[in-house]
Amino acid sequence: MTTGTTTTGVARPAPPRPRRDDAFRRQLARLGWGFTAPSLILIGAVTIFPILFSVIMSLSNVNVTGSGFKLSGVTGSNYSILIHSDQWRYALTFTVVYTVITVAIEVVLGTLIALVLERLTVGRGWMMALLLIPWSMITVINATLWGYIYNPTYGVLDDILSHLGLGTPVVLGTPLPAIIALMVADIWKTTPFVAIIVLAGLVMLPQDLYEAAEVDGANGWRTFWRITFPLLRPTIALAVLFRVLQAFGLFDLPFVLTNGGPGHSTTSLAILGYNTMFANFDFGPGAAVATSTAVLVLIGCLVFLRVFRAQVGKEA
Amino acid sequence: MRKRSRKGWRRVFNGVNLATLLVFLFIVLPLYWMIASSLKTPANVGATPPQYFPHPLSVENYHVAFTQYTFGRYILNSVIVAVVATVLVLVLGTFAGYALGRLPMRGKFTLLVTLLMISVFPEIAVVSPLYLLLRNLGWLNSYQALILPYAAFFLPFAIWIMRNYFLGIPQEMEESARIDGASPVRTLWSIILPQAWPGLFTAGVFTFTACWTEFLMALTFNSSNDLRTIPVGVALFGSQFTVPYGTIFAASVVAVVPIGVLVFIFRRSVVSGLTAGAVKG
Amino acid sequence: MIVLPTRTRGGRISLLVTALAATSALTLAACGSSGTSASGGSSKPSGSANSGTIVWWASPITTTTPDPRTVLINAFEKVHPNIHVRLQSAPNNTDTNRASLVTTISGGSASPDVFMGDVIWPAEFGAHQLAVPLSKYLKSSYWSTFAPGLVTGATYKGQIYGAPFFEDQGFLYYRKDLLRKEHLSVPKTWEQLESDAVMLKNKGLVKYGYVWQGASYEGLTCNFMEYLGSAGGSVLNSGLTKATVDSPAGQKALNFMRSLVTSGASPSAVTTFQEPQAMSAFATGQAAFLRNWDYGYSYANTASSPSKVVGKVGVAPLPGFPGQPYPGTSNIGGWNLYINPHSKNVAADLTFIKWMTGAAAQTILATKFSEIPTVQSVRSSEAVVRVNPVLATVPHTRLIPRPAQTPQYPKVSQAIFQNVNSVLAGSSSPTSALSTASNSINSAVSGSGL
Repeated sequence: MTTGTTTTGVARPAPPRPRRDDAFRRQLARLGWGFTAPSLILIGAVTIFPILFSVIMSLSNVNVTGSGFKLSGVTGSNYSILIHSDQWRYALTFTVVYTVITVAIEVVLGTLIALVLERLTVGRGWMMALLLIPWSMITVINATLWGYIYNPTYGVLDDILSHLGLGTPVVLGTPLPAIIALMVADIWKTTPFVAIIVLAGLVMLPQDLYEAAEVDGANGWRTFWRITFPLLRPTIALAVLFRVLQAFGLFDLPFVLTNGGPGHSTTSLAILGYNTMFANFDFGPGAAVATSTAVLVLIGCLVFLRVFRAQVGKEA
Repeated sequence: MRKRSRKGWRRVFNGVNLATLLVFLFIVLPLYWMIASSLKTPANVGATPPQYFPHPLSVENYHVAFTQYTFGRYILNSVIVAVVATVLVLVLGTFAGYALGRLPMRGKFTLLVTLLMISVFPEIAVVSPLYLLLRNLGWLNSYQALILPYAAFFLPFAIWIMRNYFLGIPQEMEESARIDGASPVRTLWSIILPQAWPGLFTAGVFTFTACWTEFLMALTFNSSNDLRTIPVGVALFGSQFTVPYGTIFAASVVAVVPIGVLVFIFRRSVVSGLTAGAVKG
Repeated sequence: MIVLPTRTRGGRISLLVTALAATSALTLAACGSSGTSASGGSSKPSGSANSGTIVWWASPITTTTPDPRTVLINAFEKVHPNIHVRLQSAPNNTDTNRASLVTTISGGSASPDVFMGDVIWPAEFGAHQLAVPLSKYLKSSYWSTFAPGLVTGATYKGQIYGAPFFEDQGFLYYRKDLLRKEHLSVPKTWEQLESDAVMLKNKGLVKYGYVWQGASYEGLTCNFMEYLGSAGGSVLNSGLTKATVDSPAGQKALNFMRSLVTSGASPSAVTTFQEPQAMSAFATGQAAFLRNWDYGYSYANTASSPSKVVGKVGVAPLPGFPGQPYPGTSNIGGWNLYINPHSKNVAADLTFIKWMTGAAAQTILATKFSEIPTVQSVRSSEAVVRVNPVLATVPHTRLIPRPAQTPQYPKVSQAIFQNVNSVLAGSSSPTSALSTASNSINSAVSGSGL
């Protein structure tokens, strides 16, 4: 099992590598590009044009017409509209806070589930299949299901709450409960997938570490924190990365449940972008919303990778 | 083979178990609600107070979904698109993930970050230009109109997943294979890949589900009814002022069955990484 | 930090791919789409008027079988056997529907040929040339067959973009049995309705007094317009340049809507009610009064909807405010038929549209499917008025359109429904909400802001 640091920790100048190794490395590198090329070609051919086009749209005055998009001028005015817009600033804050909270909760819950699933010897397959059902539900249908649950007239939540003597709160009609309701629906749907990612990482951990720990008499939690967790870091980081990317694109839940309301309290960046583009037909600002979202998420991810020192970006 | 001693764990195990039981309930109860509601008669779906157990039990909603709304066709289309896209992604992604994880290439990290940026880009902005592209290729209303964009947009994630799992495999495996004289491709295929089943499973589940549930592109590129996929089909249920919950839930129950089945079939692949014989000897 | 990977073969491949993609991007952007239909000047539509295949894009009209769209297509093809109409079902959600259409049409697709669109789309679609100005081909003798106000709603800058297909408006539904029991007459003023609703609720006869659509969405704009119009107000001035909603009439309307919630006449849950929730509350017998579109009557009278109030439902025009004309104004909803500018057979499209807005089709819509016809002669004909109480009430209502004459209407509407919803939820006062809405509307029509 290789680790990243040398035992001495002192840097010594490496002896010159034999030329045969160099040639071999070059051969491997060429092979690597060969392996990667098909993916890159597919991805490039499909995605580069639309993404470039969107970025260009975000920097021009765009008029959508029956004959296509008419782009004129290069201007930062779309971005300045964004920065000066209360709606965008709120959407950004809301989306970031929403992402941080839901991802944190999901990672904790997901890891918990993965830990227990890993210890299950019987029925693990059934549990996994069951757990993946919420994940595999179509997001709009998930939103519809929760809309059915939260409905004040025929929804089951208010019915249960009224039997418990807690009245019939209008969950989706008040800003804070509406946001929490969205979070619950989101956490319900995606925690299982985080659990699967972590589980897959867990089963690949070598057993000999635990044997060593037992010899030393470590108890459960200590084992987890000192040994399991550090090794799980890359996997958990991967899970966090995915979830952040998805949570930032929060769309279906507010679209179906609240239409961005009450007021604009659940208008996420994706909803704002969608309305700007497809309701108001303002494709320039809409593209600016999309591009700025992508850039912000990317920066966020890079910062996270740095801070978490997860080594997801580097080999062991 | 020594089993891990459970003595130290047992205390924590119970607490963790209880928490997981709660989480399990949290996950199962809404599912129950969806399945139960799909089995109510259409009239009882909107009943006040809500019926906790369908009475009478009725498969009317399923009947309506398949007959009035040609749901069977939508399922077929979704299956074709999702399966082909997933296979494509897994094949391409495995090679790329291995290369970016194990082979000495320059500019790897930049490439990975670029791939991340591509998958991060919000779909709404991408749909219109992509529509233009597909239209000019004459590929609107076809299976490839969805398969290729899906594969392209979901590949970056798959590559990251595969790379992550390849990184977790000890390097000694490749070294011992090389010493034995195996070529890199052979090494990948026969030795490394079987270790990375958990990664394949995860990437496969992710990609299949993403294709299965994608809405915006499916709506825009394939507008003909014979090519509609499940998410778009469900958007056609009901009318402007009616949300037929029962029918929608029936469709949803039917739509999650394939994934549940796939997961159950491949569940062992998540644990197959435990075989460590190749290195330890 | 950024390494340009030109030294390896793989690196060069990726660079080549990028270059190719970029070149194709620029080429495509320059080319735009394929040519559009013949520009102004000639009023001869392309294609042949009596043969061909046309694609009709329409969302489901009702959930009942048979499907009205199929029934109409079959009837049309009987009369015009050489024109084949293919139906493409559109999503129910109007916003999703519009999103798909703008992508398709701006992408240059020739299909669909004819699309059924909301009545609030003409200005937006017209301003962006996403629909053919039908007034170029259809003369005033055609347009004068429609009920007054509908054609104005489909006009933008002097051109008419949509042919009114079927119409909708707000009605007051009430429980005949409860009114009779308490010896109440159908309320003619809003205040009367409010006190009746509170009384019936306090007596325990119903759980909710009066339900309507107060969620943060387009339907709330419709509801608000009704109170606003009844109070004699408007949202925009006639030049569509300035917001006029912050006025005594606006205050009156908004204050009244808020008082419905505070007095208990309407439940606080009304801030989450769209049509399905309000309809369900009324149809399951939990409300005494309902404001809804014309489908409410048939829904409430079909036991399997589910409905517990079959046979107990009355229909009336909306109440007005004291001192203002009766009845109060009903907001115009409904659907028009538009033509895609890239359609290759505009002549056949026009034949189709003319038939669908002709007496035969309109009568089918009214008598078989209880939709409100747009053609004046059909609306007031004996056969139609007899169909159900809703259609009988139609000749007695006063209509008010939403301020959709401006292409910025979606932003205007959003300013209205977000602020009104926030007043209903108690998060802001009517005065501040109206002033915020007014500012947002002003910045919307002047073309600035997000």
